[in-house]
Amino acid sequence: MSNVPKSMAASAPALSLPLVRGEKQEDRELVRLSQNGTEAAFEELVRRHQQRVFALVGGILRRPEDVQDVAQQVFLKAYLGIKRFDQRAAFSTWLYKIAVNECWDYLRKRKVRPLVYEADLSEEQVSRLDGIVSAERPPQGPNERAETRELLERMLSALPEQDRQLLVLKEVEGFSVQELAEILKLNVNTVKVRLFRARGRIMDVYRRRMATANKAGTASAGQRKG
Amino acid sequence: MAMDTELGNAACSDYEALLEDYLDDELNAADAKRASEHWKNCAGCRAALEQAAESARLLRLAEPSADPGPAFARIVMARIRAAEQDRGVLWQPFVSLAWRVAATASLALALLVTYDAGWGHRPQPNASSTRLTGVSDLFSPDPANLPANGDEVLMMVAESNHGN
Repeated sequence: MSNVPKSMAASAPALSLPLVRGEKQEDRELVRLSQNGTEAAFEELVRRHQQRVFALVGGILRRPEDVQDVAQQVFLKAYLGIKRFDQRAAFSTWLYKIAVNECWDYLRKRKVRPLVYEADLSEEQVSRLDGIVSAERPPQGPNERAETRELLERMLSALPEQDRQLLVLKEVEGFSVQELAEILKLNVNTVKVRLFRARGRIMDVYRRRMATANKAGTASAGQRKG
Repeated sequence: MAMDTELGNAACSDYEALLEDYLDDELNAADAKRASEHWKNCAGCRAALEQAAESARLLRLAEPSADPGPAFARIVMARIRAAEQDRGVLWQPFVSLAWRVAATASLALALLVTYDAGWGHRPQPNASSTRLTGVSDLFSPDPANLPANGDEVLMMVAESNHGN
């Protein structure tokens, strides 16, 4: 790690927000060092971006067992191609594009679709989700939050794949509209309009599930009374 | 979709993109004022705004992907080193062949240059060498056969030239 600037050597905590200007400048320096063959500089780049790459790959593939492997492949490809990277774009943008391409390649080669939940939300799961949404406090602890994510993922499965990906990457994983436009090679306004429509669709699905669950609940209560 | 029909005119569709910036708190002052005015007077767009805000609240309840931890970077670097080594092994036969060809070519070139510089142009045992021998005889005469006078000298020179 001797060739990496000291300020960068202490790896940043998990980055869940878009990179700020100073970090991008440090990335540029780390890229330059990596291009000159400094392995430690590339390792630092991996540490800085691994969480976002996991988020992106996980948002597209959704299969936890595949995410680790594909994310490793993303960084391997980045390492092999870094000498050709001219730094006209931010390193993060270049890396995320590799990640998206790697996900498509992976899905094509394996001939698999992103994970699709076979069963829709059960009545119990709908009322669980309703409880979480209407609760005063947000889900606490990793287990409760992971359960919420699974419930929401099941609901998101009802949307077209592109809508699902946009909503997950934007609202769950914290990618900005600008980043999504660059990564998915779309116009910024197109991303905004697609997000707007996807929001409408997910809320339609949510209300329908709630209405169905409420109707079923009322019916079973009536049967018990009768 | 109900919301789409409510926002079914061109003026309202202009606010679809603004809505995303509004949720991210990224609207500039002028656009924020324009959008607020519109949302105040348009029930359909107001409903869309509320729905979008609700969707954001709902989805943000989900746990984002976790950081894979420091072990991940180490695994990646180990994989990179292995790939580099594999690449080296893959090219090794070609590299050694290239070295052998280069060494042979250098040797051949060195031989050619050396030959051209001298070894290939040794004096031939012919006219020029004989002439040199003759000249040498003339200026280093055998002391036993020294000419006794000028006529003998001329005779020796004539003989020597005649012999060539």
